[in-house]
Amino acid sequence: METRHTHTICPYCGCGCGLYLVSEGDTLTGTLPSSRHPVSRGSLCVKGWNSHEFVNHPARLARPLLREGEGFAPTDWDRALNEVATSLSAISKRHGPDSVAFLSSAKMTNEENYLMMKLARAVYGTNNIDHCARLCHASTVAGLAETFGSGAMTNSIGDFDEADLFLVIGSDTTAQHPLIGTRIVKSVLDRGAKLIVFDPRTIELVKYATLSARQRNGSDVALVNGLMNAIITAGLQDEAYIAARTEGFEELRKLVAAYTPERVEELSSVPARDLVEAARLYAGAKKAMIVYAMGITQHVSGVEGVQALANLAMLTGHVGFPGTGVNPLRGQNNVQGACDMGALPDVVSGYQKVADPAVREKFAKAWGVPRLPDKPGLAATEIMNGAAAGTIKAIYIVGENPAVSDPDTNHVRKALSKLEFLAVQDIFLTETARFAHVVLPASSFAEKDGTFTNTERRCQRVRKAVACPGEAREDWRVIADIARRAGYNGMNYAHPSEIMAEAASLTPIYGGISYDRLETFGLQWPCPGASHPGTPVLHVEKFTRGKGAFKPRDYKAPAETPDAEYPFVLSTGRLYWHWHTRSMTGRTSTLERESPDCFVEISPADAKTLGVRKGEKLKVSSRRGTITVRAEVTERVKAGSVYVPFHYGEAAANLLTIAALDPVAKIPEFKICAVRLEKAGA
Amino acid sequence: MSTYLLRKTDVRPLLKEASAVWDIFAPLREGVGDVNFKALPKDRLAEALENLVLDDEPTLLSPKTIFFPQNETMFAFGSGGIREQVESSPKLLFGVTSCDLSGLLFSDGFFAKDFPDRYYLSRSENRLIIVKGCLKPPRQGSCFCASAGTGPFAQRGFDLQLVDLGGEYLVEVGSGKGESFILAHSAFFASGDGRERAAEAVKRDATATLGPGVDFDKALRLMVTGDFEKNFARIGERCVYCGACLYVCPTCTCFNVVDRADGGSGSRMRTWDGCVFEGYTREASGHNPRPSKTARTARRYEHKLKYDPLVAGRSGCVGCGRCLDSCPVGIGMSKFIREVADGTEEM
Ligand code: SF4
Ligand code: SF4
Repeated sequence: METRHTHTICPYCGCGCGLYLVSEGDTLTGTLPSSRHPVSRGSLCVKGWNSHEFVNHPARLARPLLREGEGFAPTDWDRALNEVATSLSAISKRHGPDSVAFLSSAKMTNEENYLMMKLARAVYGTNNIDHCARLCHASTVAGLAETFGSGAMTNSIGDFDEADLFLVIGSDTTAQHPLIGTRIVKSVLDRGAKLIVFDPRTIELVKYATLSARQRNGSDVALVNGLMNAIITAGLQDEAYIAARTEGFEELRKLVAAYTPERVEELSSVPARDLVEAARLYAGAKKAMIVYAMGITQHVSGVEGVQALANLAMLTGHVGFPGTGVNPLRGQNNVQGACDMGALPDVVSGYQKVADPAVREKFAKAWGVPRLPDKPGLAATEIMNGAAAGTIKAIYIVGENPAVSDPDTNHVRKALSKLEFLAVQDIFLTETARFAHVVLPASSFAEKDGTFTNTERRCQRVRKAVACPGEAREDWRVIADIARRAGYNGMNYAHPSEIMAEAASLTPIYGGISYDRLETFGLQWPCPGASHPGTPVLHVEKFTRGKGAFKPRDYKAPAETPDAEYPFVLSTGRLYWHWHTRSMTGRTSTLERESPDCFVEISPADAKTLGVRKGEKLKVSSRRGTITVRAEVTERVKAGSVYVPFHYGEAAANLLTIAALDPVAKIPEFKICAVRLEKAGA
Repeated sequence: MSTYLLRKTDVRPLLKEASAVWDIFAPLREGVGDVNFKALPKDRLAEALENLVLDDEPTLLSPKTIFFPQNETMFAFGSGGIREQVESSPKLLFGVTSCDLSGLLFSDGFFAKDFPDRYYLSRSENRLIIVKGCLKPPRQGSCFCASAGTGPFAQRGFDLQLVDLGGEYLVEVGSGKGESFILAHSAFFASGDGRERAAEAVKRDATATLGPGVDFDKALRLMVTGDFEKNFARIGERCVYCGACLYVCPTCTCFNVVDRADGGSGSRMRTWDGCVFEGYTREASGHNPRPSKTARTARRYEHKLKYDPLVAGRSGCVGCGRCLDSCPVGIGMSKFIREVADGTEEM
């Protein structure tokens, strides 16, 4: 049989590696890297190399399902689609449009995310649309928009090859963004670049660090303010840059004056001497990149953390040039794109605010509807609260698994079961789908055309390699079908390229993007015109908002701190081998074998006090729930801290986490809650 | 050995004619410009032949994957019993490099010995290999066939071998199968008489250009007597477990067998696996005889360079250079061999 190689983009992380899917008929038999692709350059991480395997898994959903008592019965598409469209319409009519909510997906294509937000807004008249960016980089989108004018990674992945110094804070880069992590490793080992790592755990990168320290969980704002204090004390700030390119420096100077290295040592436990040295290294580097991820964003002070880093970069003139910048690493393959396409409650595509009448008018006209809702909708976390409180009556969820991925999942599971109507569209029967009234079988990345936008804002073509299994359908077709059945006439597309053409015409940062320009390695937004080459580095010469705005931010304590009853700090995170709720990686033999079960990392000192040995079971309890997991005794965590990966539905770390939210970004504080440990069976 | 001449302009028509009998595999440029060694689709043959690559460009994977794909369904099971999936269509591999031929012969040996592997063997039983020697290294700086003694031209094991003489190829016949192929397509082949000397010169020049970069034999000797724990520790620390070195290697033959089932039906599948992964040697009890990165790194290098020469009588590395080119942190066999032979620190 003929083997085909289809060039497409990895479905896992935001690096956005280019790869070929190898197929025989409608079966995928392998993956291999693209050697010319600017990110993968002939390499992939283990997830990428095995990205084809889950696609053909026999447990893939292949028929629509209708709830029948406790279980499901297969049905046909006609019935399932009508059920979704009419239930949403009926509830919207009965309880008002804002009783309905939509959860889009960072795993879907840009085109599909665009359609989801169009469905919510144009067809069902609500801005209640969000997706898992809420749980990862909502703080970045909000924080950087205010300081720089654009909430995205300022520089490109290629820039990692030219930076002289990396300041990595709250990013386990080799595990979560492997092909960026490996660039850092190579830069240090082969080019002598310097590396500063701040992380509460001893991550892989610490091995290569010029300087590293384990700050107290949640003390990042104090730590970064301390760095700025030390820089200003030593007179290492870039006065010319500050004068020419920024505003609000005086307020910043005043605020950080209070963060002396000694005080910061008390708050963060980072030795004052290390802080001063790190400040000197960072300020003194010619090209320095700040790299961060969820260790900064997943806090009640997430926005403050992001803005503190933006302040630091502006203070030293490390933004607006190649090899510098503030570089949030976006988690999901297309979380950047899902945000860009407006699967967010307060903006339509291109971060155009729904509160702006001109924006609403433009979109209403293009979409052929009399008006669009003006009130920003609910964030994903608030949607779940609304469901629990009974104000949200129906949710249509595509490709997300909040029953495992959201904080305090007991609460989420209760909320889901209270809904009058829940439709879930996914590729496997996930923990969340089990709560649904209708389950729609969806397409994986290998089964459709479209685009993903990676963490460096590179919009790239995703190509169909095989057909969907059984009766499963491409998500964009399903969404458009629901719109049609709800009586809406403006979603008729023969191919995703037509959706992109529409999105581009309404979205200035994507204005010059069209499929014929994406044949090879995509385009980095902003790309405003048909001949614009795209933008590898943001804020060159001037910030998107004009002047860069210093936003002085004070440290504030985490929402829940340890006490006598719950004496340990729990932090959650991800592993190299798995992806989020494991619905794909758990069905990939090599990945699942390498990391088959959940565990809690505990320091040798604490293990000794508790009398627990490696491999023994520990009960980990918070005020919200309990899980029982294997003890992994390791120096990676400090005494008093424990760490649990959140991938495992059967021992879901998020049963423990707290739904305390950043007031602006509404992101939950996944990184800190208080827990108690007991030997299981004791 | 008889020799023939094949005009370069006749290569495509020849393959077209041969496709009536054979499934043709060759280096094709596709996608975003990469070269993959793969099947020419019969229904779009002319178009595919346009993308045939005749100069020495690297292919991402070796032709081993034709006989040993990354994921292979061995059989499907269900209420209807077991349906085994074996196939042995006639396969013509055109433009195989000499190092990749060595890799194929090595894999053949592995899959044929002790417990003959019917999946691999049936896929490969009906094959014809046309080698095309390299005039320049496809993986400049990474590949080292001349040092490893596997190229740039093959000594044995091919059915036909092409030597680039400019406008035409001198065709060396290495087997009866090769001779029959020429007879079956005789219109494309002229006698090679009188051009052998020129071909020898081409081979000599190519060998001189391509190496030897490192003293491979010295490295093999030192692997037996020396102590390289420090190297293994250093390299192991650098490794990020992507698995690429196993996946791209033309002589890596390890696989894992898994059942993929939903209810009572599903399939038994095998998938590439290998020694850099922790779970590869983890025992059911949880004990792991190769518990550290150092130990797993040692396994890879010692297997290829120390035990394969002892057990299989030849090195398990054929010097293709793919492992270095695909490693995101710059680990590779060519560097390791230099470390061993020259005592340097390359990684
Ligand atoms: S680094 Fe990210 S995008 Fe690249 S192969 Fe790995 S998971 Fe996929
Ligand atoms: S070890 Fe590396 S250089 Fe040697 S044959 Fe395998 S991939 Fe090629």
